[in-house]
Amino acid sequence: MVCILSFIVLSITGLFSSTHRELAKEAWGCVWRRVTLRPCTVGFKEKIKGRLVAWLLGRSTLAAKILNRYFELLSWTLVVLTMVSTFWTVRGLYNYYFYGSCNGLNSTGFCVFDPAGENNQVSSLNTQCSDKPQKESDVILSPVPVEEFPTKNAGVKNQVVFIGCYSCDYTRKSYPLIQQLIKETGAQYTFVHFPVKPETKYLSAYAQCIADQNIEQFWKWNDVVFASEKSDIAKPEYIQTLMEKNGIDTKKVLECVNDPKTAETVNRQYNQIKSTHLYGTPTIFFNGRAYVGPKPYRVYRNALRRFLPW
Amino acid sequence: MTPSHNEAFNAHAIHEFSFWFMDLQKLRNDFPLLASPSNKPVMYFDNACMSLKPRAVINAMNQYYEQFPACGGPGRSGHALGARVREAVDQSRQTIARAIGAQHPNEIIFTRNTTESINLVARSFRWNAGDVVLTTDKEHNSNLIPWLNTRRLSNIRHAVIPSLPDNTFDLSAFEQLLKLGSVRLVSVGLVSNLDGVRVPIAEIIKRAHAAGAMVMVDAAQAMLHSPLNVQALGVDFLAFSGHKMLGPTGTGVLYGKRELLENLEPFLLGGDTVSATTYTDFQLLDVPERFEAGLQDYAGIIGLGAAMEYLQSIGWPFIESQDQQMNRIITEGIAHLKGVHMIGPADPALRGGIVAFTIKGMDHHQVAVMLEQMNAILVRSGQHCVHSWFGSRGIPGSVRASVAFYNTVDEAEQFVQAMEKITTLL
Repeated sequence: MVCILSFIVLSITGLFSSTHRELAKEAWGCVWRRVTLRPCTVGFKEKIKGRLVAWLLGRSTLAAKILNRYFELLSWTLVVLTMVSTFWTVRGLYNYYFYGSCNGLNSTGFCVFDPAGENNQVSSLNTQCSDKPQKESDVILSPVPVEEFPTKNAGVKNQVVFIGCYSCDYTRKSYPLIQQLIKETGAQYTFVHFPVKPETKYLSAYAQCIADQNIEQFWKWNDVVFASEKSDIAKPEYIQTLMEKNGIDTKKVLECVNDPKTAETVNRQYNQIKSTHLYGTPTIFFNGRAYVGPKPYRVYRNALRRFLPW
Repeated sequence: MTPSHNEAFNAHAIHEFSFWFMDLQKLRNDFPLLASPSNKPVMYFDNACMSLKPRAVINAMNQYYEQFPACGGPGRSGHALGARVREAVDQSRQTIARAIGAQHPNEIIFTRNTTESINLVARSFRWNAGDVVLTTDKEHNSNLIPWLNTRRLSNIRHAVIPSLPDNTFDLSAFEQLLKLGSVRLVSVGLVSNLDGVRVPIAEIIKRAHAAGAMVMVDAAQAMLHSPLNVQALGVDFLAFSGHKMLGPTGTGVLYGKRELLENLEPFLLGGDTVSATTYTDFQLLDVPERFEAGLQDYAGIIGLGAAMEYLQSIGWPFIESQDQQMNRIITEGIAHLKGVHMIGPADPALRGGIVAFTIKGMDHHQVAVMLEQMNAILVRSGQHCVHSWFGSRGIPGSVRASVAFYNTVDEAEQFVQAMEKITTLL
């Protein structure tokens, strides 16, 4: 059994050491004989055992005795552990590639490739009073009337619903990536403003009214808002300047914004969005599946390729 | 005292003198592996497989490549460089002939190794159906397989002389087999690579000849450790390798009595073996050229001659004394250790330069690896090409430490200490 374990380990260390490369070849010879149901005749096990026991004998006779006596058992244990850890390593790599986290979609556990957990950070909704852990699987899109929000490429196969907040860092981080994705894939795209921060709550009404007035101008305005400083977009007068610069009928928009019906609609929509069990922004639904936090671009791209097993 | 007696006396005195004042460290400096500070220090106890090479051998070979790297066979290049090659090869042949007491240098055939030498006899001998070849029960594969193959090809019979329980040669069993008749050849290893036991070769030859059989001696393990005189012993054929006696790899020798060699039918023919050819026939050269087909390993042959000269310059008394001393230290140091079982007779004096053993509960390969890891002690582990002996006894293999004259007391003691440590694991 030690030959399998050694082959795995020596194949890796052999990249850096010619001695280990030779041993890896021997280990492979042994593995191959085992696989083809023949006894391992190259004395590889004894060679490895001899090396390890000799090394240990120089440090602790007792430890060397134990290793010498229980070598086969220890080999088996290590093989099982290696196989288990290999499985988890491969799974972690897979998860990291497809979801941006070693632990799976939206999981915040430690990931060696993303030690700071940047791919899962969210602007939180302060729902710490929740009686159960917040999970991506609990987040559902169905309560949101997607058709009421600004949408482009309507009717195509893939659907992306971006729920974000204008003044939230992580939304601002992922916004340009989603724009790039929509440009490349032509997927149906809906933007939903969900104000996590109170200073930009007023922008929901602006977004609603501008989109109602001219959807093309809305997309341009939306891009400009995300490109602006957070401190600037907290000021309504700055937003109005932006509207003017982008050829939006400011007067008409302001009338709409001040209309009580708009406030009512925005509030209703806000509550509908909350009922998705959203716990932070950005939350991006790809064909109904929620990706919470700013992910690398490849994750978004892969989310539209429907071959993920889990 | 006659002049010749005087010379003999002086030679003996010089030998004795050199023995007592032999500077081992100076001698070790002749071996680049042991002397060069750039080499990782090792304690080399695998001399039964391959001896180390002194600088004299390396220099001799280099001299060929640097000063006269030309063709040297009969009928080949007649220019000055070719003449130097022929001269150097002839000199090696003479050196070797002299060293083993051959009657004439032409009784020396250069081969690649002992294996090839034995195969040459096995394949070239004019066998009669029913001829019997005797070997011992612990022959190296090189002195077993050629006869098994000849049995298959030439309808001869092969019989095995069983050893005594302590692995020494059983003369009475040998005598019994000789009495069966039809024994044409007795082929025995002079010193066993399994356990270092030396067969009573003089007695074997005497009895074989009395029974009308010839004797082939596999001296691969003997040449580094003791002198040999084929004429004095009456050896018919003798085979040995260069690489086990300080010489280059890929070199070997077959000695044969001239009349016997002339009666062999060469099986390997080609360039340098014939004086003339037509489209229908060929004329063989004399012995030994007829057996040395194709371009030879001139550098190797020259190196082999240099190795023989170097060995003789050391002197056999010193060499034999070193072997016995090392073997005694190791044997006395490990024989009593827990789990250790010595192969061969208990008396180290009967085992030349070899200490072979097994450890109950520990694999032989593991022990060899541990010796290397712990103390850079290099030994051989396995069945040492004597599968038949191990297989018949159900022993998976052994650890074999084989010494040479350049090993030191300190090395032997370190070997014992390492073994003491290893056996604490049991």
